[in-house]
Amino acid sequence: MNSLNHVLLASHGTTGAQAAEQMAIRMCTSGAKLHHLIVVPNLWKGMTGDDWLNNGSTRNTYRRYLESELGREVDEHCERISKNAEEKNLQYSSEIVLGEPEKCLINSSKKATFDLVIMGSPRPKGIKGLRSRMKTESLTHALEIPLLIVPYPPS
Amino acid sequence: MVYTKKSPALFIIGLIMLAIWFLASNGMMEGYIEHLAAGKKYKYLGELTTLALYFGGISALVGAWQWFVTPKKGDWDYYSSTIAGAMFILLIAMLVRWFVAPEVAWVSIQMGKVGDTGKYIHKLLGLNYIVLGIVAGIIVVNWFKVPDWAENGVRLSRLGLKTGVILLGTLYSAAELANLGGLSIIMIGFFVLGSVGMVLWMGSLMKIPNSMAGVLSAGMGVCGVSATVAAAPVVQAKSVEIAYTIGTILLWGVGSMFVFPVVGQLLDMSYVQFGAWAGTGILNSAQVAGAALAYQPDGIETLKVAEIFNITRVLVLPIIVLWLAMWYVKREEHADKVNVGHIMIQKFPVFVLGFILLFALSTTGVFAPAKHYKGKYFGNTVDTGFKEKNLLKEEQIVSLQAEIDKIQRADRKDAVLRLIENRKIMSDTDDAVIRGVINAKILSKDLNHVLKKAHKAVRHQAKMIKAFRKWITWLFAFGLVGLGMQITFSSMKQAGGAPAMIGGVVGLTKAILSLIVVIWLVSETV
Repeated sequence: MNSLNHVLLASHGTTGAQAAEQMAIRMCTSGAKLHHLIVVPNLWKGMTGDDWLNNGSTRNTYRRYLESELGREVDEHCERISKNAEEKNLQYSSEIVLGEPEKCLINSSKKATFDLVIMGSPRPKGIKGLRSRMKTESLTHALEIPLLIVPYPPS
Repeated sequence: MVYTKKSPALFIIGLIMLAIWFLASNGMMEGYIEHLAAGKKYKYLGELTTLALYFGGISALVGAWQWFVTPKKGDWDYYSSTIAGAMFILLIAMLVRWFVAPEVAWVSIQMGKVGDTGKYIHKLLGLNYIVLGIVAGIIVVNWFKVPDWAENGVRLSRLGLKTGVILLGTLYSAAELANLGGLSIIMIGFFVLGSVGMVLWMGSLMKIPNSMAGVLSAGMGVCGVSATVAAAPVVQAKSVEIAYTIGTILLWGVGSMFVFPVVGQLLDMSYVQFGAWAGTGILNSAQVAGAALAYQPDGIETLKVAEIFNITRVLVLPIIVLWLAMWYVKREEHADKVNVGHIMIQKFPVFVLGFILLFALSTTGVFAPAKHYKGKYFGNTVDTGFKEKNLLKEEQIVSLQAEIDKIQRADRKDAVLRLIENRKIMSDTDDAVIRGVINAKILSKDLNHVLKKAHKAVRHQAKMIKAFRKWITWLFAFGLVGLGMQITFSSMKQAGGAPAMIGGVVGLTKAILSLIVVIWLVSETV
């Protein structure tokens, strides 16, 4: 099973995605390349909502703050996977993009020759989290390489 | 970077506006306009033959330049990049105001009145050009996406709303501002502090993090998304907490914009009462303006009241942000120190100074001669120049006498009796009271119309003030269509978890309590 040389991992750090991370690391051979795609969903573009009362300075402070918060979360996430990948002697690289998750994944899958795309399962109903999901149907229609969806870990 | 997109879009927008002007001014739309007017006078013919020409001409000229000339980097490029988006919003506002809203009204009238409410469905739901304009904006951003060439201009909608509020400053008398200001300080003071306190208390009960309680209390308590944007960095809210809060507030705000006018109609609230209720009870400030204009699309009395409440809220915002910052520092070891001066200066809403300036200027009589405020036409009689045709007719007096017992309040009854006696309104006070009778819709529709005519006969408006009222209406219509384009379903979908629950309880409590207080304490006029 652990014979893959180049894996594209789509993960944004949720519980389901963390299961996919562990699986990806397990399935790679020592020295393989692990490319980590982090999609910052478009929903964050709408996070100033319809604010109109604030002045430009307050809005800029907010935007910078939100960007730094998202950036900090992404850094922590990448650092964790990078550490785990290093332990198995994998070549880790990461890519952060803003957009719709499935479109970004399809684009990223075309940038190199990957053996497999690995991602987590959607969050089961009742578990808290942001509502931004990978549309698997359009993804499976467009992907040209095998896709592995890792089951959500049992609670 | 060059911001202006090379696109035919602005040119096409210009051509559409010019086509509307051409068809309307050459009578080629007569049949359609007659249909839209539904037997009444079509109100917007003047706008069709002027605004469509002016803005169509500008759009076509600038659009042709943007399409064929390669822009260079610089300030002009940046400003030029906003024109296409601004005209895109304006075109939507025009189409909705001139054609879509009258069409919706026509369909609604064909459907007949709703149950025993005596109202058509479009009146009941407030489906006028303002609400439909916001809905059009929401549809554009969520189904079609705002085009690249329009993105920079869409942000100008905020400027439109702020300019509208600044111009509103010209429409208040000192007495109105003092009365409304006092009322709003009491109401907003009580409900802001009450809801901020309630969120913090519920947050501690539900053991949510301090950062989430802080950002949620600002959003729920003060002015919705704007307060969330201002408070989030100060209380170091996590990204997911911001998403939950903004989702909850947007969902509530958009819902309130539709529900509040219906409740207001069902309870026959006066413009002042509705403005005060919307200004206090609706969480998000953008939807306060939307609901006020939804309730009274052809006048701005409700907006005048609601915006005073909005201004009070935004003036309270720096104080609440400061308070939350101190509250957060006390509870979190890693919190940044509070810089009082920095927060107060950075969060101060500068546009409110513009509002105050225009109000001050208007009190000097720059925009309208003082006689318009003093009521030149109140004291005079036919002998001193009052037109006889404006006096009450004999049959109108008989009808008024027949219905006068419907009026319960003594001051109202006395004012109407004085109107009957003199056949015209004789004082500013009586005029204010009679406006209350009109707004409360106590008398039959025909007699309400008689009272309105009696009011118009004595209350004259300066040309410049009339023009300001029109500009304000357009600026708000423009701004709210643009703000609609910034309400995404993906943001609203984030409403959930503890913030949605706390928000639901606090939002509903605030809406119900403020409704009771308004009906109980706020009179029908100011």
